[in-house]
Amino acid sequence: MAIRELKVCLLGDTGVGKSSIVCRFVQDHFDHNISPTIGASFMTKTVPCGNELHKFLIWDTAGQERFHSLAPMYYRGSAAAVIVYDITKQDSFHTLKKWVKELKEHGPENIVMAIAGNKCDLSDIREVPLKDAKDYAESIGAVVVETSAKHAINIEELFQGISRQIPPLDPLEKGNNGAICMHGGKPPAQARRCC
Amino acid sequence: MCSLEEMTLLRLEEAFLAMLAHVGSSILQPLLLAGPEHSEPWARECLCLLQQLHRSSEQLQEVTEQSLQSLQKRLHQPCTAGLESLLMLGSADRILQVYMEYIESYTSCMVVQVFQQVAKRKSRYWRVQFGLLQKHLPGMSFEGPVDAVLAQALRQPLVQHLQQCVLLLLQLRDGLGKSHPAQELVTQAITLYGNLQSFLQQALDQATATQALWHSLSSRLKDALCTPTRRLLQDSQDVPMTATPLRAERVLLFDDALVLLQGPAVHTFDLRLLWVRPRRHECTFCVLTPEEEFSLSARDPLGRAVWQWKVSRAVSQALRGKKDFPVLGAGPAPSEPPACRSVAYTFSAEGRLCQATYEGEWCLARPHGKGTLKWPDGRHHVGNFRWGLEHGFGIYLVPKATEDQFDCYKCHWQEGSMCGYGICEYGSEEVYKGYFRAGLRHGFGVLDSAPQAPQPFRYTGHWEQDQRSGYGVQEDSSRGERYIGEWQANQRHGLGVVVTQAGVCYQGTFQADKMVGPGILLSEDDSMYEGTFTRDLTFEGKGKITFPNGFTLEGSFSSGAGRGLYTQSVLDTAALPPDPSSTHKRQLGVGALPVESRWRGVYTPFWDFAHAGCPGELQEALLGFQVQSSRELRRSQERGSPEDAAGGTEAFLEDLLRPRQPAALRRHLGEALSAAWHPLGKLLRTLMLTFQATYAGIGANKHLQGLAQEEVKQHARELWAAYRGLLQVALQHKGQALEDEDAETRDQRVHGLMLPLVLPSFYSELFTLYLLLHEREDGLYSQGISSLSVFPDTKLLELLDVHKHLWPLKDLRLTSNQRSSLVRDKCFLSATECLQKIITTVDPREKLEVLEKTYLEIEATVSRVLGREHKLPMDDLLPLLVYVVSRARIQHLGAEIHLIRDMMDPVHTGGRYDFLLTALESCYQHIQKEDVRLHRLPGHWDLRDLR
Ligand SMILES: Nc1nc2c(ncn2[C@@H]2O[C@H](COP(=O)(O)OP(=O)(O)O)[C@@H](O)[C@H]2O)c(=O)[nH]1
Ligand SMILES: [Mg+2]
Repeated sequence: MAIRELKVCLLGDTGVGKSSIVCRFVQDHFDHNISPTIGASFMTKTVPCGNELHKFLIWDTAGQERFHSLAPMYYRGSAAAVIVYDITKQDSFHTLKKWVKELKEHGPENIVMAIAGNKCDLSDIREVPLKDAKDYAESIGAVVVETSAKHAINIEELFQGISRQIPPLDPLEKGNNGAICMHGGKPPAQARRCC
Repeated sequence: MCSLEEMTLLRLEEAFLAMLAHVGSSILQPLLLAGPEHSEPWARECLCLLQQLHRSSEQLQEVTEQSLQSLQKRLHQPCTAGLESLLMLGSADRILQVYMEYIESYTSCMVVQVFQQVAKRKSRYWRVQFGLLQKHLPGMSFEGPVDAVLAQALRQPLVQHLQQCVLLLLQLRDGLGKSHPAQELVTQAITLYGNLQSFLQQALDQATATQALWHSLSSRLKDALCTPTRRLLQDSQDVPMTATPLRAERVLLFDDALVLLQGPAVHTFDLRLLWVRPRRHECTFCVLTPEEEFSLSARDPLGRAVWQWKVSRAVSQALRGKKDFPVLGAGPAPSEPPACRSVAYTFSAEGRLCQATYEGEWCLARPHGKGTLKWPDGRHHVGNFRWGLEHGFGIYLVPKATEDQFDCYKCHWQEGSMCGYGICEYGSEEVYKGYFRAGLRHGFGVLDSAPQAPQPFRYTGHWEQDQRSGYGVQEDSSRGERYIGEWQANQRHGLGVVVTQAGVCYQGTFQADKMVGPGILLSEDDSMYEGTFTRDLTFEGKGKITFPNGFTLEGSFSSGAGRGLYTQSVLDTAALPPDPSSTHKRQLGVGALPVESRWRGVYTPFWDFAHAGCPGELQEALLGFQVQSSRELRRSQERGSPEDAAGGTEAFLEDLLRPRQPAALRRHLGEALSAAWHPLGKLLRTLMLTFQATYAGIGANKHLQGLAQEEVKQHARELWAAYRGLLQVALQHKGQALEDEDAETRDQRVHGLMLPLVLPSFYSELFTLYLLLHEREDGLYSQGISSLSVFPDTKLLELLDVHKHLWPLKDLRLTSNQRSSLVRDKCFLSATECLQKIITTVDPREKLEVLEKTYLEIEATVSRVLGREHKLPMDDLLPLLVYVVSRARIQHLGAEIHLIRDMMDPVHTGGRYDFLLTALESCYQHIQKEDVRLHRLPGHWDLRDLR
């Protein structure tokens, strides 16, 4: 079976449960020996999907506000972004919207966006109605699911949702290193580089 | 106790000596005095021959006297002197030598009829002399013509003496008894004297025949052919022989030459340069000489056999330069003359070699082996030849019009023309080092102008038919500019990039050395001009300037009468300021000069060699001379065989098959790439040359980084393919086939194996380009680093929002008057030191491993502090990493990061190495930020507190 590597980056406010979701996702799955992790910051998990294997290369990001401007380095080349908010914090949903906007503007073309409304075990103190999230996700064509890292709810489903959205294989276009094309050649696919 | 035979021998020697003395005084001395008239043309020669004969006669007397003395000594002291003390027995060889010399001198006189000439005059005088001599030479008739008597008197004593010696020695042997120790000695002497008799007889017969021949020939022919030492060995009048296609009516075989007489024409062929080849036809054989080839046909097989035998023997004898002993064809020589010989010869036939002299080894009538060829016009070739043509390594000098000036080619040759690697030092002091084909510069090569030339240049690139053609780099140091691009017929033609000393560089299309149409010009302040301009960098015609701030000026430009620039154009200030890093990093040439075709010619000789199956004889031509010297070196060390030439390629092909495991393969490739005698090593060295020619010096321009980095990767790909090419040949030699390689495996080998091995060879130039490209960011980063370095460890950790529970306060060892809050460069020291090692390696993979170890050090420190294993999430890791990076203070970190990223194996994309590199890069970015650089840090920090 063909293995397909998919880079996934995690975005969202600090404390919404990004790390918890990934840890839960990979926890009972030991391919650590084959592809070592970088602490809880970089982890991998391979799951079957149709007649392919999807190997998720999951990149954590620092949630602190001061590091926001570094995020483009992390999401460049990503096949998917998991954007997490805390259903008990309206603010975190607001931040999520900002991430979506940034990805639309500067992220890789065709990036799959998956929205996770985490801590659904605490729905009694919920601030963000599920419907808001669903409507929003629909408007941007994103996968959405409410999860609980604590109780392992919908974690697998979140990533399955991503797998389903990944378009069929086609040769990856390599970015142009800022070369100048003279002879009416196509302009560089990625107009700008962030570094 | 001395035998009767010895007594008789003694008497014999006495008598012989007396006879020689009488002949000497009565005939030889008067002959010298009464020599032929000086007025006659050949008088000098006669006199010389007579003097020679006189000297030989004196030597004969001398040696006879010594022989006599040895006999007398034994007579008196038979006990102390054994038989071997007799000169006749113990030193028979010496006696033989003297006798043979005398015979030579005598027959030479005979052949040119010295005695007849002398006897023409003073016959009266001679009759008187004969009368005196008569009683001393018993048994000799003094009747007949004077010349005959003279000749006989000089010959008879020797003939008689030899006969008697043999008889007496036979008796001596019989008297000794079978077991006598001297038995063998005497037997040897008998054989020797017997042989000497045969030699004498043959010499006399040849002399008589030769004399008769000269007598029978016209004086013109005689003058052309006759020399005193030449002897006739065979004459077609005796055993009929005809030559075709030369149609000679007479064939004469002398001891030094074969002569064909054809009407008035005389063809003389030096026997040393004459080869006999058998023919199918039983009456015919073939003769090869440097410039003629003909058949000799006899009437019958016997006649053919006689002639062929005689010619072959005569050739052998002539090559030895010494008469066969005792007769022609006898002696130690092999039955056939050797096919390979070493002789000098001057060609006379019209053509390439007319008047040229070849001195050296021959085989079957053609220069073959080592030799020197000199033309009368001063051209000169020293080197190897094969079947008459220059082949293999050779040095060729061509004189120029001016005196003392030569074009000197040190090159490999193939069938008469230069082919393969060579160096030419021209009379003009230009120097070319590179490949030739069919005698012309072709393929890849470097041409340097004379050091003192008014416009010095160096061209590194491709050649076709002696002209710059294809991709090449030319540096014009007087203009301070370097052209990198396409050539045709010695002119810039096609796409090219020009970099200048001043730092300005441009890209454009050239035709016949001139730029045509619009180009792109990048100036040092990062503004860009797109449009038409001249070689002197004056804007002319339509164009558009994009300033670093994003403003554009579009319209038409021209240079005015003065030095100013005139323009009618529109200034657009509406554009947003562009990302400075993108304007700063514009790259020239990428895409326009496709990397796959750039240095094709470097690989062509290699692939020609590989496709030919790596023949040993082509190896030197591919590698140049190093191989020769290194092989000579090896040869002297292990007294190798001359067949080594084939062993060279066999050896490395054999080596290729050995390593299978990745580590062994890596080692093997590493050795091959650094070996002077290995084709891969040669390729890499040539590529280094091209890389330096392009990117060192003026070429160290940030706008060429793109060209350079893709070139390095391409070289790794090509070298891997080259390795596979050699492997295929090696397997073919074993009758096996090379398994195909899918694209994925290939990429893996190229990046995982080959690139790390070749990168060091290009690293210095390449890194310089990265350095220049990232100069600006690296500057900001340095400011950031130095501003962070003022903070003590704990304050920096706090500043970077590292959770307090992760602070490794245990690492702080304090002296009594220190406060922990003021300690610097102690926390995470192991990680910091580890990260610093990143600059000590070249291999991107090793650099990434350093980075990974740095992470592990951080994790280990954190786990130690917490007292449990801790997997760091990014929220914690990133601040810690910023801390470690700022403490490691690595110079040019931006250049490092980008070089690693560009050279990194693409399989790592998205993986943990990529993640770590991205993390490092984000720290680098973070440190450049304004608030870090300019101390605009969270308010509760007052810097004055810290100092
Ligand atoms: N109740 C509950 N708490 C959670 C859940 N996921 C994470 N948390 C808690 O939220 C806090 C922050 O989680 P973390 O994974 O570090 O968030 P991150 O900063 O986004 O990586 C931790 O105390 C977690 O225990 C969840 O699904 N339910
Ligand atoms: Mg986290």
